[in-house]
Amino acid sequence: MLVLAQWSHLRPFSTPNESAGSQVNKKFSASYKATIGADFLTKEVLVNDRLVTMQLWDTAGQERFQSLGVAFYRGADCCVLVYDVNNSKSFEALDSWRDEFLVQANPRDPEGFPFVVIGNKIDVEESKRMISSKRAMTFCQSNGNLPYFETSAKEALNVEQAFEVIAHNALAQEETEEYNGDFGDPINIPLDGDRDSCAC
Amino acid sequence: MPNRLTPPPSPPSPSTSFYDVSDDEESDYNTVAHSKSGKGVKLLFSKSKVYVHPTPSSKDNIPGFIALVQQRPPPRVVIDRPLAASSSAENVDASSFLLAWVPESALGDAYSTYVKVDLSEDSPPRQTYLVPPLPTTTSYNDSVGLYAFAVPLSAIYSLLVRPPSLGWWFGSLVINTRAGDSPPALFFHDSECESTILQKKKRARESFDPFGDDGSMFWGGDEVLRWLKRYVEVQRSAADPTVYLINPSEEDKLSFGQPLNATKVQRRQSNAQSASAQPGSSTPRDAGMDPFMKALKETRWKVLEQLSKITTFTRRTANEIVDNPRIPPQVRRLMKIPEIQTLQDEFDSARLYLARWAMSIAEQSERERNQRIWTARDVLGTENSAVGDFEILDLETGTMSIQDKRRTVTLKEWKGWFSPNDGRLQITVDEVKERIFHGGLDPNDGVRKEAWLFLLGLYPWGSTEDERKAMMNSRRDQYVRLKGAWWERMLDGTSSAEEHDWWREQKSRIEKDVHRTDRTIPLFAGEDIPHPDPESPFADAGTNVHLEQMKDMLLTYNELNPDLGYVQGMSDLLAPIYAVMQDDAVAFWGFVCFMNRMERNFLRDQSGMRAQLLTLNHLVQLMDPQLYLHLQSADSTNFFFFFRMLLVWYKREFGWTDILRLWETLWTDYLSSNFHLFIALAILEKHRDVIMDHLKHFDEVLKYINELSNVIELIPILTRAESLFRRFERTVQAIDKKNNFPLPSLRQRKTGDDASGIDKGKSPQQAAAVSSSSSIAISSNGSQAIGDRRDAVISPELRQLLSKEVITVGGKDTRNYEV
Repeated sequence: MLVLAQWSHLRPFSTPNESAGSQVNKKFSASYKATIGADFLTKEVLVNDRLVTMQLWDTAGQERFQSLGVAFYRGADCCVLVYDVNNSKSFEALDSWRDEFLVQANPRDPEGFPFVVIGNKIDVEESKRMISSKRAMTFCQSNGNLPYFETSAKEALNVEQAFEVIAHNALAQEETEEYNGDFGDPINIPLDGDRDSCAC
Repeated sequence: MPNRLTPPPSPPSPSTSFYDVSDDEESDYNTVAHSKSGKGVKLLFSKSKVYVHPTPSSKDNIPGFIALVQQRPPPRVVIDRPLAASSSAENVDASSFLLAWVPESALGDAYSTYVKVDLSEDSPPRQTYLVPPLPTTTSYNDSVGLYAFAVPLSAIYSLLVRPPSLGWWFGSLVINTRAGDSPPALFFHDSECESTILQKKKRARESFDPFGDDGSMFWGGDEVLRWLKRYVEVQRSAADPTVYLINPSEEDKLSFGQPLNATKVQRRQSNAQSASAQPGSSTPRDAGMDPFMKALKETRWKVLEQLSKITTFTRRTANEIVDNPRIPPQVRRLMKIPEIQTLQDEFDSARLYLARWAMSIAEQSERERNQRIWTARDVLGTENSAVGDFEILDLETGTMSIQDKRRTVTLKEWKGWFSPNDGRLQITVDEVKERIFHGGLDPNDGVRKEAWLFLLGLYPWGSTEDERKAMMNSRRDQYVRLKGAWWERMLDGTSSAEEHDWWREQKSRIEKDVHRTDRTIPLFAGEDIPHPDPESPFADAGTNVHLEQMKDMLLTYNELNPDLGYVQGMSDLLAPIYAVMQDDAVAFWGFVCFMNRMERNFLRDQSGMRAQLLTLNHLVQLMDPQLYLHLQSADSTNFFFFFRMLLVWYKREFGWTDILRLWETLWTDYLSSNFHLFIALAILEKHRDVIMDHLKHFDEVLKYINELSNVIELIPILTRAESLFRRFERTVQAIDKKNNFPLPSLRQRKTGDDASGIDKGKSPQQAAAVSSSSSIAISSNGSQAIGDRRDAVISPELRQLLSKEVITVGGKDTRNYEV
């Protein structure tokens, strides 16, 4: 399944540059670079005893390159909106990212398409925090009860949990698409165990 | 050590563990048993970046040192230590040497000593370096936690040595003790290990042959074997060449040393000896070839075919393969290598995995082929390659030999081209470019500082030294003025709110990118000064003067070219120029010149990138229609997987030193101002068989190409690209001649040159065709037209490739920035 996320924001989680005993030269490893073009990584998550393989896509962040992301929007099963809790601009941009995604991906059921919101960088000191949990939750509620997580990719806080939900919802979405209709609440659709785990 | 008669001066160690005594003097070091007395053991050899991989996940890898230490022979007093008594009795010496591995994190103060010994020019070093003794082990039971171990050589039965010949995975070494168990496998991350890199370079320098005696690449494990051979008998098993026996008994020699078909080995040896004398004999191809590789080569296609049927390659299926007795044991063994397991975890695609594996095998055979070219170049006229029969570059036709052409251009040679009187160039520009195109510039003597400014177009080729000086002076003033402009605005706040917002956004983008650009290069690595802006996300980390210069230059470019502004990727383009110039004003103008030709890559509508990807599309259609059809079936003809390479000219794909060489080659525009697209084609061609056999979807192609980062060898690609260009040129000529087609309208409109337009030094005047959306001249609808070149028309995009004129946005050049 395809999941669209700016995983470069979540990079330390997938490629821990700063694990215990890190040396200076490790800190600036290859993965610590601005994304150019597009890349993805795959992650396996266990959902209801099924091993699900997710492709997490990442494209360049600057608006200049946004048009190139379009190719990857199509076919996505879940869209993860990541913002920085210490940067109100990144939070305010969520709306436009969501709209942009829906326009470009053009999913069959825009209302039911699974989004997950992640507020990242909660490891930064409290005084620098710009977006409160409450404000973020209100936003998510008013946008169709989007699941919301606060994470620290740097300290691997809550990231695993977020990805389980993402996988769960994306899997549900994929099956919805497959059965061609019956768009319910994507989170609550029971999963069928008889299909082989998806081959992305 | 031809250039150095004395060891490098080492600062006196602050600790007392460092004594200036000769290698053989067995003075002040201690046995392990007496470790508490505070003395140490003698560190004879060490090598950094040798890892233990405790789990399949690469994040758990533990970096450390492998080392050979010497302790005093065990005193006759009773030691409470289960040393393998039998062998130590036979060989007292061997028990006083220990092969050890110790994690970096456990070294403490001894770290610097390990580094010193690792990098010592004399190996073992002349001076005695003492380090704290290590826990001696003769049996290893999976104790959790610290993995450090030291095994007396007398207790080692054999070593299982796997060179990294199976691709770019790490070579490994497993110690089998006489007690029958093994400490964890050690993995040599050679690309991180400074001493291995230096040793590799040194070998290449001294012998012009980066390959070892047996045709395999030099790697860290070779060094370890060299250490051991000084002190014990190391015998490679003929039955299983990955096994090296340590001080083998006669019995061992019999059971391991005698291969089943002894005659074959004898023949091999005699072949190896006489290979040069009789290159045409029927068997020399196998001379010295690792039987393990041979087995793989023989079975691989069958295996690959079977495996490729599995579409989803989960860990479970991998396990099934591991346990499947029908799979050859070599492959099963391969599957158990942690690196490969990690790969399976990270990329859940059988094809991708197999593709990398297949490529590694192809590379191995290419190395073997290259080696034959070395020894029997006269015999080998053609290279069996994807795009049909590739000629070995016809470099001998000129007056210069290959060696002369490929010789690096030094500062001395460069200076010799200019008049001693007025500093004007005395040879033709084409001659200069030809030399740099083929030889590159000397990386160490500072010639780049001067030559790059010509190549970039800042200095006119016909200028005198005085003119250049005057010009640089006014450019310096101009840089200061430009920089002052935004600086003042920042302090005054005279700009409108909107302008200010945009500027702040650009500033923070630059800030972020500079702090993650080439930080592994020493110049940019430091964090020695406090960050001037407490608001910066890097305020805590600190910065250095070069990072600050980078930020200023990029902000100044943002000021100079506000329509474009700073775009991600630009910091990658600036860093090498700044590192070479090490002068902000000079580097800035060099960068501005570079940006003139690169600007089209960063346009808001992405038209420049699209145009180049389209040209690449046409190029592949023309040059390798089969591959093109395959890419079409994999939904990959947008060539998006080359986006990153084209945007920043392969900056992320090649290492730092290669980038400097590649860029100066491209800046010459010697064959084409779009030679970078032939580099792309060369990379694609090198991997075309793998792509066609294994990659069936866009995501697989993209991942595979992305993963090529830092594994591509530059010089073979440059050679291949040149050869492809020549072929392209001939194809165009042939098509023009054969069909006598009317010239494409675009060309007719713009120029009156003749169709070939490839006369040296006289390029057709091609205007910018950046947003050219003219129809694809090569039919793209299906195999029929593609396969049949006689029907093909050379599209304007393709014809453009024959031009040496640099394409700029709106015909801009540096003069536009005259104040």
